[in-house]
Amino acid sequence: MTERFDAVVVGAGPAGSAAALVLAQGGASVCLLERGPFPGSKNMYGGVIYGRILDGLIPQWWDEAPVQRWVTRRCTTMLTAGQALTIDYRTSAWGSPPYNGATAFRPDFDAWLAGKAEAAGAVLVCSTTATGLLRNEAGAIVGVRTDRPDGDIEARTVIACDGVNSFLAKEAGLYHHAEADHFTLGVKEVLALPRRDIEERFGLRGLEGADFEIVGCTGDVPGGGFIYTNLDSIAVGLVLSLPGLAASKRRPEDILAEMKTHPAIAPLVEGAELKEYSAHLIPEGGYDMMPELGQDNLLIAGDAAAMCLAAGIWLEGVNFAIGSGAAAGEAVVEALTRGGVVAQPLEGYRRRLENSFVLADHKKLRRAPGLVLSDRVQSRYPQLACNLAERMFTVDNPSPKKGMVALGRQEIKRSGVRLRDLARDAWTGLRTFG
Amino acid sequence: MSTGALAIVPVRDGILPLGGEETIAEGGGSALLVGTGVETAAREMVVQPAGRLLGWEAGDYRPAAWAEALFDTIAPHAAVILPASPDGRDLAPHLAAVLRRPLLTGAIRLTFAEHGTRVEVARRGGLVGELYETPVPVVVTMQPGVRGVDPSVEHREQPPQLELLNLPFSPTSSSGNPELVEIMPPDPATMDLGEAPRIVAGGQGLGSAELFARLGKIATALGASLGATRVAADAGWVPFERQIGTTGVAVKPRLYLAFAISGAVQHTSGLGHPDHIISVNLDASCPMMTMADLAIVCDARALIDELAGRLLSSTDVET
Amino acid sequence: MTAGGARLGAARLGVAMKWVDLRPEIDSLTGAVHTDARFSGASGADQAALELALQLGGTWGADVVVVSVGPAGSETMLREALAAGATQALRVDGDTAMASQDVARALAETFKGLGVDLVLCGDWSLDRGSGSVPAFLAGAMGFAQALGLVSIAPDGRSPCGLSAQRRLDGGRRERLRIQAPAILSVESGAARLRRAALTRVIEARKATVEVRPAPTPVGAPHLAPTRVGPYRPRARTLPPPSLTLSPRERVLALTGALVERTPPQTLVLEAPEAAERILDQLRTWGYLT
Ligand SMILES: Cc1cc2nc3c(=O)[nH]c(=O)nc-3n(C[C@H](O)[C@H](O)[C@H](O)COP(=O)(O)OP(=O)(O)OC[C@H]3O[C@@H](n4cnc5c(N)ncnc54)[C@H](O)[C@@H]3O)c2cc1C
Ligand SMILES: Cc1cc2nc3c(=O)[nH]c(=O)nc-3n(C[C@H](O)[C@H](O)[C@H](O)COP(=O)(O)OP(=O)(O)OC[C@H]3O[C@@H](n4cnc5c(N)ncnc54)[C@H](O)[C@@H]3O)c2cc1C
Ligand SMILES: Nc1ncnc2c1ncn2[C@@H]1O[C@H](COP(=O)(O)O)[C@@H](O)[C@H]1O
Repeated sequence: MTERFDAVVVGAGPAGSAAALVLAQGGASVCLLERGPFPGSKNMYGGVIYGRILDGLIPQWWDEAPVQRWVTRRCTTMLTAGQALTIDYRTSAWGSPPYNGATAFRPDFDAWLAGKAEAAGAVLVCSTTATGLLRNEAGAIVGVRTDRPDGDIEARTVIACDGVNSFLAKEAGLYHHAEADHFTLGVKEVLALPRRDIEERFGLRGLEGADFEIVGCTGDVPGGGFIYTNLDSIAVGLVLSLPGLAASKRRPEDILAEMKTHPAIAPLVEGAELKEYSAHLIPEGGYDMMPELGQDNLLIAGDAAAMCLAAGIWLEGVNFAIGSGAAAGEAVVEALTRGGVVAQPLEGYRRRLENSFVLADHKKLRRAPGLVLSDRVQSRYPQLACNLAERMFTVDNPSPKKGMVALGRQEIKRSGVRLRDLARDAWTGLRTFG
Repeated sequence: MSTGALAIVPVRDGILPLGGEETIAEGGGSALLVGTGVETAAREMVVQPAGRLLGWEAGDYRPAAWAEALFDTIAPHAAVILPASPDGRDLAPHLAAVLRRPLLTGAIRLTFAEHGTRVEVARRGGLVGELYETPVPVVVTMQPGVRGVDPSVEHREQPPQLELLNLPFSPTSSSGNPELVEIMPPDPATMDLGEAPRIVAGGQGLGSAELFARLGKIATALGASLGATRVAADAGWVPFERQIGTTGVAVKPRLYLAFAISGAVQHTSGLGHPDHIISVNLDASCPMMTMADLAIVCDARALIDELAGRLLSSTDVET
Repeated sequence: MTAGGARLGAARLGVAMKWVDLRPEIDSLTGAVHTDARFSGASGADQAALELALQLGGTWGADVVVVSVGPAGSETMLREALAAGATQALRVDGDTAMASQDVARALAETFKGLGVDLVLCGDWSLDRGSGSVPAFLAGAMGFAQALGLVSIAPDGRSPCGLSAQRRLDGGRRERLRIQAPAILSVESGAARLRRAALTRVIEARKATVEVRPAPTPVGAPHLAPTRVGPYRPRARTLPPPSLTLSPRERVLALTGALVERTPPQTLVLEAPEAAERILDQLRTWGYLT
């Protein structure tokens, strides 16, 4: 048995490292466990990190964070078989401090953030898997068990940041609903492309980066796609509904291959060489499927608590993981300085989350997953919008141009979308995203 | 007669090592057989060296002492080549050390030009190729099996003229250590996969270490070695040494039995060209099935139990 | 392992471990190798060497000293060795491209200075893959060698005496009796490195690794490749088909089409019938009697 820690944090992903950093900064003794050979070694995601949440933790983080490119162009694209309609936004403001989003590799980013925690005094132990909760005779949680000989770690508080499908959260019985439709599958390819080609194809200069979110590219499986630019590679991926995937009997890599052949996508990815392919589950049920935030001496944060925001044109998890991890760390520090009565960290944790974007955004967007994955948003609206655009921009004189309203009416009718549904979705959308 | 290259071939009990004759043929110069039973080995040889054929009956394998004793014989040769067999790999560094020459290991091709030797070597398990063009004399080990020998070209017209050497041999302090206790005959279960003539392999569809253990017993009963796909090795059902394919072992069996293997190209590219392939899979159209002489659509797990029942005694089956 | 060996107070076991990228990226078009320190560590063979040394050290009551010639990054690997149970770890400053003979000399000097009389190595390094460092080391230290071992155990008869098996050609093996001083190299399958206890992992994070300067190279002239590229296997020489065959038959023989093959068959069978069918087929082909 080793020394007793104030806290043991399981998982050195963004959530765990943020928690450990805050704890160490607050003077607590903390052990940060990671099953991979180094933090981030096995972690995959899309590719964009929104760093605002780091401002309070690591001043001027942008000077040292291992970043590939700063996102200055964000496109939302709707595809049908042969059409594409894109809202293309770019701003040079995102290209200078304090920046907005950055593309980064997780093995770089996670290792960097864990290094910050270590520098602050956290004890990072890699290649070690937490195998369960350690309980005393009374059944109270007093630490974790690991897969190493002599591997029990005693701690006053356990913070589980072990990612989606958290084993520890489940063992503690914090999940009450974890059906398949609360998860989506993320698949991603990293394609090598010379830097010059990336800059040319995506219209970028220097360290500028682009971020494409795509709907209508997943065939009959509800989901969405993305393309992000790294320095000399691009990430192309999909987020797919699990039940939809099962029903379609298709393989995710086939759907991805199909997206890459779309006339609007093909020129972006042409000639790029496949470097890696990976797949990972994403908790995507939103606010309504979140588990309890903890119990006893246990707190859960990040994907372990289903805090990833994956609502259509948003795909954010790292910032939510950092935010919730830091909140958990603060709550434990607060409980320690007050003498650490059992229930305190959990209360403080919940209060912090509710007062921050973490739960506020989730509450606001609670209907988003359902809406974004609905058949109408997935295929009918893209079709409708593209057709509308096509009619508007097709020059068919000598026939006189039609008015927008008339075109709209005709196309809505043609698309088979009922006006009632359209109105309801617009209202949900407005309430959700507005 | 070329005196450029000298092939040194360690011999045990008259048996030539893996790659011994390829090395002689590739060197195109003289050859020296060293060890025990060199005359027998010379008689068995198919390849005739272009230059002289020397032999030294040196007794049990003793690389450091041999290297010193051989110094005068080998020093004039600009290239000294050994097969990268277990004994050749052991001896080569000692020759390089006494000769104070660079050592190039794992060559796949040697050519000799006026100004030196050109050596192509394989690195990183055969993913990277390096070319060395060296004017200075070298010691080289050559990868067995990459060249092959063509008896109709490299054959000999007459029995070889073996010139036996009598070298001064000073047993060093380490002589007799290690001491050879016995040589054990091949055991397919532990045999290096790369050399196994029969392989029984399993893939992802088997699903457990237990089933692989049982498949291993069936393999032994068939005189075959056990192989696996990367998926199975990654899952920890078999040790990594059993993995066949581009990132595993390259094999060249005559008989290949594939149980629940889909036949991904990374797997089959390490498979050589077996004379006979049997594949068992639930999916009749996967590449492994289309490659097979006999493709059986069947649950491999159930089939393994059936085969175990037929081939193994009851005590074997239980474990 | 039997606990048969006599205790030898002064004996020290050495382990030579190389720090290498365990899964480098290799460009299949250019052969360019991209390594990443974060994925670097000891190969399976070097880990097996450490494990066996720890086992022998336990039996004989001997210290285990681990030495690596390499850059600063190697210290992570050395700390892991300490966590697993090594008594001392030492790094000789050097780069990964050092010639094998120079590496061996550096190792020999260090081990000699430490009074080590039995050194365990891995059989191959993953990046160089020549298996020559252990033999050079044996030469430089004047020790006996037994390389490419698949198993090692104390022979239980003499102090520091070992019995070992070594792989020969064609699936044969030899059984050896080995006496220190000696250099041994082992295959990765010879042993699996134990998991270090958590307490030791945490302690080893702060353990000091002694560093020695790189020795000046005096080995053989160093060769650098004139070209590095992707590996392309050479065509193998095949015996030509007999001249008594017709041209068509010769082509068939060269392309392998003459190998007797049953017409490819796909059968859907229940397990018992499938088993019978396979055994029948093996008999037909002559693999079973
Ligand atoms: C395809 C895809 C695309 C995405 N794109 C984006 C994006 O562009 N931007 C964005 O912000 N988010 C994105 N996300 C979401 C984001 O990846 C996650 O929300 C985020 O990684 C959550 O961080 P975390 O620290 O909670 O968990 P993780 O990052 O999953 O970290 C968990 C850590 O715990 C370790 N661990 C697990 N179990 C144990 C154990 N028992 N013992 C010890 N260690 C353990 C793991 O090895 C890992 O290091 C994407 C996700 C996917 C799948
Ligand atoms: C860079 C790289 C290098 C690689 N190197 C290698 C390598 O060296 N060696 C290697 O093997 N792979 C390698 N791979 C992996 C390779 O691509 C394949 O993923 C792997 O070979 C597939 O293994 P498998 O056939 O066991 O599994 P799968 O492809 O999953 O196939 C399993 C098969 O079992 C069948 N099956 C399932 N259940 C049963 C049952 N009960 N009865 C009968 N059949 C059943 C299925 O129909 C399927 O055909 C490499 C991959 C990459 C990207
Ligand atoms: N730089 C090094 N430092 C320590 N040991 C080494 C080094 N290089 C090789 N070795 C040892 O020698 C073995 C064979 O390596 P090689 O001769 O490079 O194939 C390795 O498995 C190690 O045990």
